[in-house]
Amino acid sequence: MFATMIRPLFKNKKFIVGISIFLFFLMLGILGPVLYRVNPTKMTWDYEQPPSAKYPLGTDTYGRDVLAQLLHGIRSSLYIGFLAAIISLSIGTVVGSLAAVKRGIVDDTLMAITNIVLTTPSILIAILIASYLRIRSMEVVAVILGLFQWPWFARAIRAQLMSVMSREYVYLSIMAGYSDMRLVIEDLLPTIATYAFMSFVLFINGGIMGEAGLSLIGLGPTRGISLGLMLQWAVLMEAVRRGLWWWFVPPGVAIVALTASLMVISTTMDEVFNPRLREE
Amino acid sequence: MASKPLFKFLLRRFIFLLVTYIVATTIVFILPRAIPGNPLAQLLSNLSRLAQANPEAIRAAERTLMAEFGIDKPMFVQYVTFVFKALRGDLGTSISFYPRKVIDLVVPVIPWTLVLLLPATLVAWILGNTLGAMAAYRRNTWIDKGVLTTSLIVSQIPYYWLGMIFIFLFGVRLGWLPTQGAYSLGTIPNLNWGFFLDALKHYVMPFASIVISAMGGWAIGMRVMVVYELGSDYSLFSEYLGMKDKRIFKYAFRNSLLPQITGLALSLGGILGGALITEIVFNYPGTGFLLFKALTTLDYPMIQGIFVILIASIYLANFIVDFLYALIDPRIRLGQEE
Repeated sequence: MFATMIRPLFKNKKFIVGISIFLFFLMLGILGPVLYRVNPTKMTWDYEQPPSAKYPLGTDTYGRDVLAQLLHGIRSSLYIGFLAAIISLSIGTVVGSLAAVKRGIVDDTLMAITNIVLTTPSILIAILIASYLRIRSMEVVAVILGLFQWPWFARAIRAQLMSVMSREYVYLSIMAGYSDMRLVIEDLLPTIATYAFMSFVLFINGGIMGEAGLSLIGLGPTRGISLGLMLQWAVLMEAVRRGLWWWFVPPGVAIVALTASLMVISTTMDEVFNPRLREE
Repeated sequence: MASKPLFKFLLRRFIFLLVTYIVATTIVFILPRAIPGNPLAQLLSNLSRLAQANPEAIRAAERTLMAEFGIDKPMFVQYVTFVFKALRGDLGTSISFYPRKVIDLVVPVIPWTLVLLLPATLVAWILGNTLGAMAAYRRNTWIDKGVLTTSLIVSQIPYYWLGMIFIFLFGVRLGWLPTQGAYSLGTIPNLNWGFFLDALKHYVMPFASIVISAMGGWAIGMRVMVVYELGSDYSLFSEYLGMKDKRIFKYAFRNSLLPQITGLALSLGGILGGALITEIVFNYPGTGFLLFKALTTLDYPMIQGIFVILIASIYLANFIVDFLYALIDPRIRLGQEE
């Protein structure tokens, strides 16, 4: 059944392009640091060298290899993106389905909280929280980002599940005495599987972008290398105004390629699975 | 014609935003006190350690801080003082610019941010929606495909990175435009043509980087929305009635604008965040640049103050958008909602 579900996706050219680019960068992040064994933090006297045979993407102010930084950066940014996405998806699913199943006061309270978080500028709150933490691991950054991007998903899930709740098969399950938990897992969640997957893709996107933003303002992970941290170092060292393009162009290209390919994957899935948008 | 339903709607939104604002400022208040390791206590102990260097000044700063945060008083008293002071516009004293008040430091930079942010956001919204609607009208032609592909990529470019590319290309390589600041060093902001032209030159790149990367998202959203509306029952019915395509498109366009207005309200926070970072890249003397300085010096009173103001402005903007929405949507104006 799964095969018939995803087959139409692979007939869509845009989807193939998107998933190929994404997988390429995923491989760069997973295999890159294993295959290109240069220490990204090792300082050398070859500082601010343009790309050459020895340094495929040049070096930064401390003589560190930009390609090695890029590969490690892609890995960390994807890690943070995935982690943030898992957190957002879990919160969103729990809040959305609880509100839909319990109704009444539970629904009202949860939706009030959701609306408050939705209206509150999440990146600002993330900046505020991060500013009070002296040591920020990759995981902490992912949690800060994941905590604030779930509201629109929770609302969509709730709306969708509310309409499913009025279907006959759900009535039958309720009459058969299913617990709320069983009802959610067996009857409700399967109906939102594709939407949840599409949202997961967008959450990864938000995580990668959020990390870059936090890092640029000086609140990224305090250890390790990420795409955002590379950009921050480049800005701090005035790489842009001194024309060291090999330093700030690659991390930006990686961010845009990753997030754009994820966007393409998500929108083409919408086109394929949503009959109202399907191409005739 | 200020109808009763309209007033009711606005009142409901106002109360909601007020509650949200109270929640947000409470978070601003609780965070430094709740995070393990208590950053405030740490800050104060750091200050007293530094006291040997310049005893008088730092001890004075410490006393002010102690009094302002009132750490020795019970939490509830601290909270009430915080709220009342904030309402009076007293956001405390800056540490890095001691003894200047936070409010006096923040207020002068706000216009710079507004001048950059408001026009850029509006221009991006208008251009993006127009492009998106055009693409949907000429669905599946090369215009549609071109707009869609470009928007998809462009919408994913962070404002600040596009800014960096612009600085490198037009500032460093071609030397057409100044690479930083809002006006040339050494000039004093005043109201003559020379200064205006100078400021305009500095304005082009930050403005363009926000407009271009924000536009893509609106174009994609609008295209999907119009395509959806064009496939809905009323469009099909109008088509069977023999109505002209252009006319049907006009209805679809109007119906699609409403969700885009809601989208504008919801994305304001994200746009502001992106613009703040763009300011840092351009060394543009706005709120983002001040916030960056406060963050690097761990000037917590200033960080808090900036947040209280930024969050309030986001909610105010939200309310203005709600008001426009209510004026445009007849269902709210006539009270037929729900």
